[in-house]
Amino acid sequence: MSSTAHRDTLFVEQAPIIHNHRCPGGQYLLRLKAPICAQKAQPGQFIHLQCDPHLPLRRPLSILSTDADAGVVDLLYLPVGQGTQTLTTRKAGEILDLIGPIGQPFSLPAHASRPLLLGGGVGIPPVLFLAARLAANAHHQPLAFLGSELPFPFDTRKAALDIPGLPTEASDTLSCCEDWGIPTRLSSRAGLPGCFNGFVTELADHWLKQLAPAERAKVTIYACGPHPMLAACAALAKAYQLPCQVSLEEHMACGVGGCAGCVVETQQDGQPRMQRVCVDGPVFDAYQVF
Amino acid sequence: MTAEMLAHDDELAIRFCGLSFATPLVLLSGCVGFAEEYTRVAGFSHRQTGAVCLKGTTGQARLGNPAHRICETPMGMLNAIGLQNPGVDYVVKHILPTLDFSETRFIANVSGSTVEEYVEVTQRFEDSPIDAIEINISCPNVKQGGVAFGNDPAMAARVVAACRAVTQKPLITKLSPNQTDIAHSAHCCIEAGTDGLSVMNTLMGMAIDAETRRPVLGNNQGGLSGPAIKPVALLKVHQVYQVAKRHNIPIIGQGGVSNARDALEFLIAGASAVGIGTALFYDPLICAKINDGIRDYLTRHQLRHVSELTGSLTLNSPARPPVSCGA
Repeated sequence: MSSTAHRDTLFVEQAPIIHNHRCPGGQYLLRLKAPICAQKAQPGQFIHLQCDPHLPLRRPLSILSTDADAGVVDLLYLPVGQGTQTLTTRKAGEILDLIGPIGQPFSLPAHASRPLLLGGGVGIPPVLFLAARLAANAHHQPLAFLGSELPFPFDTRKAALDIPGLPTEASDTLSCCEDWGIPTRLSSRAGLPGCFNGFVTELADHWLKQLAPAERAKVTIYACGPHPMLAACAALAKAYQLPCQVSLEEHMACGVGGCAGCVVETQQDGQPRMQRVCVDGPVFDAYQVF
Repeated sequence: MTAEMLAHDDELAIRFCGLSFATPLVLLSGCVGFAEEYTRVAGFSHRQTGAVCLKGTTGQARLGNPAHRICETPMGMLNAIGLQNPGVDYVVKHILPTLDFSETRFIANVSGSTVEEYVEVTQRFEDSPIDAIEINISCPNVKQGGVAFGNDPAMAARVVAACRAVTQKPLITKLSPNQTDIAHSAHCCIEAGTDGLSVMNTLMGMAIDAETRRPVLGNNQGGLSGPAIKPVALLKVHQVYQVAKRHNIPIIGQGGVSNARDALEFLIAGASAVGIGTALFYDPLICAKINDGIRDYLTRHQLRHVSELTGSLTLNSPARPPVSCGA
């Protein structure tokens, strides 16, 4: 008997570039016409993109947003190596080959909850994708803290939606989050104006501390960012005994579960396991990773 | 009419170690997990391949190496997975029953730390629906067994003979390029009873992060694959073919095959089948394209069957003796 439930769940699309422009801070916003991915992608998933025909491997990029009606997918990337450097030179109208959407997305509780979204640096895109989905669901009361050392590649403004318990220096928010009705604050250790001078986990701690225990028990943490930040998120979750999902990254080759190159060590039932970030993740239960 | 009968009429269908391959393309061990992974991709089909080699399997489950396990290098990549697998018992009981054997031929890849472990795993697969067994005496990423056996022709032959004694299934030996004389090693493995040869496994290499002054790979060193190793692999196939053809032992040529032209070069060098590995990572739909490219070539060169290409290389004339430039 053949087990075929997983078959034909990832799609190769020849995606025309709609635009690929540099944002403040040096990140690039890439918009692709990829109707299947746009329709199927969930927050936390990623695409695997051919950036440069002279490189043997694709590059995994997390999804920032989708518009199923328009059939477009937005990605935000920071050029760091040859693949992403070459990607900055690709122009509107050129075709990029992508596989997607890949991976286990963030999973939301069925009951009313208080999702606490924590994003850092290049880990912000999937957190914003999740925020957008949460905004469309009146069931939940999300809140976000986003940290960056580079200028935020999004419009910011003075926050109007209140978040109790925070230092007054954390005054700014992302305009998109505010428009979605999601109270949000920013942090940076690079002295960016309107930002808390510290880590997102410190802002989260301030907020969690002042919550009544019954309200705090409704909180689930969703985090994506550098590994030390995710370790801090997991520690915060443990301190308050909160569920926590983290989205990881790792050097990746195939992106479809074939090569076992992108593993992370997890603990399940007291036993170590090596799980693939591409298809077993990228979103994992923080308690199994940290 | 069955798919197999149709395949025999096809210009790409071959017989390899007595097995029917729908095409000469073989998906390589370690690149496609336990075979179902790539079927996630819409448009991919095992039917575009002649065979699929499952991930290296040992007697007991292994966790494999710590991260990072892979690293891109110029025109290639290093990997050091370290034979992560759930152990042969799990593979036979829980994975083989999920495979559709009407789609392609499935080849087990056997590894171990001792000769006894190779034998134990081979025996377990002997009593299973697997089509053939590939002995991996060339894995560069484990401390015992693997390449430690493959780089010693006498030891390699011992492993092959021991596995031969416990299986009637076609036995294919995967040779290491990390040795002085691969043709001699091939000869020893043939004498020991292998039915086919895989040429070649990855070349051992290292990547270093100059900022941290540490190796990039968690295992410090790994196996180099991809287009960077293709010229080395072509020479090894050519060298092994000189020995193998005398015994009618077929070769799965492999190492950096990325397109139909590469595949053709391996066939011409002496391979009967061609392995696809790293190239899948860039293009999971590459097999259909390579099959089409081989068909186009056969048409252009008025060849009736792909097997006509095997070993069709015509060498250039040897270099002339040095000419004196005397005054």
